[in-house]
Amino acid sequence: MDKIARIDMGGVGGPTVTVTEVGEYAGLGGRAMTSIIVATEVHPLAHPLGAENKLVISPGMLSGTAGAMTGRLSVGCKSPLTGTIKESNAGGQAAQVLARLGYAAVILEGKPTTDDLYKLYINKDGIKLTVDNSLRLLDNYPAVAKLRGEYGDKVAYMTIGSAGERKLLSASIACTDPELRPTRHCGRGGVGAVMGAKGIKAIIMDDAGMKMRPPKEPERYRDANRKFVEGLRKHPVTGEGLPAYGTNILTNILNEAGGYPTKNFRTGVYAGGSKLSGEAQAELEIKRGGSATHGCHRGCVIQCSGIYNDANGNYVTKQPEYETVWSHGGHCGIDDLDTVATLDYMDDNIGVDTIEMGVTIGVAMDAGVIEFGDKEGAIRLVNEVGLGTPLGRILGSGAAITGKVFGVERVPVVKDQALPAYDPRPIQGIGVTYATTTQGADHTAGYAIATNILKVGGDVDPLKTEGQVELSRNLQIATAAIDSTGMCLFIAFAIMDQPETFQALLDMLGSFYGITMTGDDVVALGKKVLSAERDFNKRAGFTAAHDRLPRFFYNEPVAPHNQVFQITDEELDTVFNW
Amino acid sequence: MVNDEDIVGARRAVPLMTSTTEPDKSIPLRLRLRVPAEAVVIFSPLLQAGFFVTARTGCSVKTLLCSQFGIDEEYVTRRITTMFLDSRPVDKMESTLVRDGATLALSCAMPGLVGATLRRGGFYAAFREGISCREESGEIRAGIGSVRIKLFNLLMGELGPLFLGRGITVGASALAELLQKSDEKFRSSCYDVTADAAPTNMALLQEGAPFLHRENVRLTVLFDPPNELPEDDL
Repeated sequence: MDKIARIDMGGVGGPTVTVTEVGEYAGLGGRAMTSIIVATEVHPLAHPLGAENKLVISPGMLSGTAGAMTGRLSVGCKSPLTGTIKESNAGGQAAQVLARLGYAAVILEGKPTTDDLYKLYINKDGIKLTVDNSLRLLDNYPAVAKLRGEYGDKVAYMTIGSAGERKLLSASIACTDPELRPTRHCGRGGVGAVMGAKGIKAIIMDDAGMKMRPPKEPERYRDANRKFVEGLRKHPVTGEGLPAYGTNILTNILNEAGGYPTKNFRTGVYAGGSKLSGEAQAELEIKRGGSATHGCHRGCVIQCSGIYNDANGNYVTKQPEYETVWSHGGHCGIDDLDTVATLDYMDDNIGVDTIEMGVTIGVAMDAGVIEFGDKEGAIRLVNEVGLGTPLGRILGSGAAITGKVFGVERVPVVKDQALPAYDPRPIQGIGVTYATTTQGADHTAGYAIATNILKVGGDVDPLKTEGQVELSRNLQIATAAIDSTGMCLFIAFAIMDQPETFQALLDMLGSFYGITMTGDDVVALGKKVLSAERDFNKRAGFTAAHDRLPRFFYNEPVAPHNQVFQITDEELDTVFNW
Repeated sequence: MVNDEDIVGARRAVPLMTSTTEPDKSIPLRLRLRVPAEAVVIFSPLLQAGFFVTARTGCSVKTLLCSQFGIDEEYVTRRITTMFLDSRPVDKMESTLVRDGATLALSCAMPGLVGATLRRGGFYAAFREGISCREESGEIRAGIGSVRIKLFNLLMGELGPLFLGRGITVGASALAELLQKSDEKFRSSCYDVTADAAPTNMALLQEGAPFLHRENVRLTVLFDPPNELPEDDL
């Protein structure tokens, strides 16, 4: 990964491709690469869909190696949904292939002067940009099927669906999984709309003739990777719970805790929760000849995904994640897994973020557009998004805009991005992260539960209330660092509980780059990324007033615990004090 | 919903049923069957939605699990890392008391930040400090009562046979729905099926006739190989 490709879509005489040495961005990867490039090169007041914005695609620091769990791909830009800096990452094959091709980043910049649609083909010989208007308004599944006819099955695809072409604010970028299904999405923040604005429909990555990235210290790397895999396999979360049930294992637990946002955050318990649970989902998948255990990229040892079939045993979609089952399920008062699976497929196909889309449908239900629990109605509304009707364009622009258009007061967004599946009133600490993250409401912005090991910011007493701000800060720092490595965030469980597994991760990084890596280095990387992101947002006009939850979280107690969000503004304003 | 009277009713002598006498609705149907061990997955909907057991209440969560249910202490400590008492995450199972009518939900370690947050005594417990289970300040009387148990994820397969063998009380409609949806493979694997001590068969149960006039069912499932816990002696 020693080069950066810049695709200038507004080049004189047509788009141009320039490949340079990685230069000042050497040693970065993933979120560190995307955020620091955006913070350095994009004008903070740029229109997100304009020529000044850039879409930066970067594999993680360990992607393309023989290391396990290293397949996350980061995409960054100024977000059209939030107006903040944005990093959105996904699994799938793209990160591994792009890294093996030697690219630390591919940057789409400028603005096309025509409405032609382009595809970008990257292989060992270089980069080729081709007009292909036959792909216009094809959604992700048919687009990939058509591209496979031309480029075959030994490549990785990144595509946008019709939502991206229409520049809808919830548009995602799809990355194909090992079976070449467009199921893994850089979902959050409307990154697909930025790709659409650049006129790029598809990126095809072909690593034929390339080898895995070699570590500087091969034996040490191999040994560290072995210990890392052992640690993941022996941990009950990464070795048992996630492989058996996937992330949807959380439905029963959140529901039991009264933290499962139901019918647009009106209550914290959903009566139909057990019908949506990961346990029920896994049983159904196995019974129908699908699978409850599947990896989103080669080299994954956790295998938290699965295959969801219909009653006749035909493929519907990949196993919907917990957040998707919630957003289209309990949030909308729908307790039917088949409906959720259909909506998950539609989201993936049209190319929209499943969290944003589901929350938006719930807001529309709150407005009376359809009733809570209306399964057919929910499918009909998402279909409107795919058709690009005026109503569909409103819904596809996310919960904040839909709430404004329909006059809804209870709109669960921060910085105009929809809240994920955890109510911040009973679980207040996650509300701190929702409110203050640089990304808009995002549970994964403070997800790397390894702060006890990292000792970020010193020791914190977890049983004291005042620890919530410190814990959120530390989580955000640790997450920014792990997002830069290309590692799946789910490794954090094993890291948290098993010091030897954390040491194995440090040894993987250190032996690959031929350096000695410590926990302090990881913390410094995380702080560097967050500082760049905060600085960009500040220059884009964001202030402390934006680091707040919607007022209804402060005013409406939620059952069963009847709590409101109680972290003070003054406390929230200290999250980034370091 | 089952109340204490239902539980008490479950322990009364079962009246003789005749074709001209409808059974007392409040007396649970006593249903017993024997199935292969792998069939425990069929009962997952009941296990995760919750079932009622008779227990000596007024004791700690740990005493209930280890001393009364006979679950190995090491297993409880290491495996049941997430537990809720009446929707509140439990941190100290040694000192948290279980009252009559309580709901106790049990789970393995969960993924995600919130999974870690809800973990018993976990590093991120502060994140849900406002809903955590507090030690009771008022008096909780010791006695015989009912406790609703919910089993989640891996614990369904691991603890389900123990509770099912001990006997659980569930809503008649929920069990009827489960049996109605069950497949032929499961139904044909069941044997030694009795309802209120009289032999019956799965076809009748699937049709739902035995459940028509009952609110609850006292379900006992014996597995091959056998369950490890003895049947409830309370």
